[in-house]
Amino acid sequence: MKNQRFFNRKFVPAAQIRRLWKGMVISMKTVFINGSPKKKLSVSSYLLGIVRMLVSGEVVSEQVRNQNDHKRVLENIKDADAVVIGLPLYVDGVPSHMLAFLKEMERFCLEHDIRLKVYALSNGGFIEGRQNKPLMQVLENFCKRSNLEWCGGIGIGGGVMLNVLRIMFFVYLGIFVLNVVFAGIQTGNWLPMDAVQHFAKQLGIILFFNLGVFFHSLRMSIAINKGVGFGVKFTRVLLPSFLFILAADFFFVIISIFQGGIFKGWLAKK
Amino acid sequence: MKTIIHDLNEKYEMILKEKCQKIISANGKYAPCQGCFGCWTKHPAGCYMKDTLETVCRDIGKTDELVIITENCYGAYSPSVKNVLDRSIGLSTPFSTYRGRQMHHTLRYGKKEKLTVYAYGDMTDAEKETFQYMVERNAINFGFQTFEFRYLESLDKSEGIN
Repeated sequence: MKNQRFFNRKFVPAAQIRRLWKGMVISMKTVFINGSPKKKLSVSSYLLGIVRMLVSGEVVSEQVRNQNDHKRVLENIKDADAVVIGLPLYVDGVPSHMLAFLKEMERFCLEHDIRLKVYALSNGGFIEGRQNKPLMQVLENFCKRSNLEWCGGIGIGGGVMLNVLRIMFFVYLGIFVLNVVFAGIQTGNWLPMDAVQHFAKQLGIILFFNLGVFFHSLRMSIAINKGVGFGVKFTRVLLPSFLFILAADFFFVIISIFQGGIFKGWLAKK
Repeated sequence: MKTIIHDLNEKYEMILKEKCQKIISANGKYAPCQGCFGCWTKHPAGCYMKDTLETVCRDIGKTDELVIITENCYGAYSPSVKNVLDRSIGLSTPFSTYRGRQMHHTLRYGKKEKLTVYAYGDMTDAEKETFQYMVERNAINFGFQTFEFRYLESLDKSEGIN
């Protein structure tokens, strides 16, 4: 009788043993799900990429753009330990195609008794990271319904600017390389200090704007590796909002000139 | 003028049609937003996808009062209703301003009166709280001066919606 009770007792939940075992012997599997509909230049993929860099074990990147992706992604999370969902903020919430995916994922996880840790990275166009709060709550509610472990996420403000900064980095890098090559050919000096200084300054500015994002991404990577909760954090492009609004207005004027919208009743009541 | 967006079946649509002229049926027979900003920068207040939601932002933008009837989905709109809202951001302009001390887009059609959201289906207390908050945020975003969120326990009692 006593023995029976001994064996029935659960000292450690099975899921934890499995996780411990996998952590020691087989590597942990983390699936990064990009919920942006964009084929290229999505901010979500950039953010997922940053967190992914420091996550150890098996890492898999997936994207959900429409219904055709559901089955493939769900099969991939079947044996995963954690998922990181990166998604854009649409009208204060989860984009509709991702809501449809979450519903499918809930059904799938309950059906196969899948227990996952869920982390989230969301980015909105507005500068305040806090505007992602309703989206985070929706994801938490989703986890409760799906019997998954909500581990929190980062709500990021100023998403489009992160993309612009990313492009600027490569432009600056290109100019720097050209400078070095020209200086090398012309003067034989392959390390022109003024070009190096100029590039370092530009790099410093880009890094500064990204500091909040990098800091929280690093902490999230550590939390994923430890398999612990992260909490919900909000950050943004480190720029005062009135300057950000000016930059955003300028950005849209330029884009609208190139795409022609500015000549087609840009602000008119249609 | 009042507009209703709903994801109910035809039976309820008939009832709603008697009460309101402008009904947008969220039947899911349209594509989700691709996040291209074309409705601001390329063909203002229109979408490049030529389906029933191509100019939905104009209808929503011009309404004084918007009523949304939706199934609950984790404290948010159902995917088909959210799809309509995602495709309607052309009701604002690409320019930004402060509203409620936070950054938002300026409104192409000006301020509107009231946003009312009725949610039905199984719903936890946390989801009700989320939804209330979501509707508050949406009202600021779309320029509604007041908002109301109500949970419908049963759809058959919902004929009181006016």
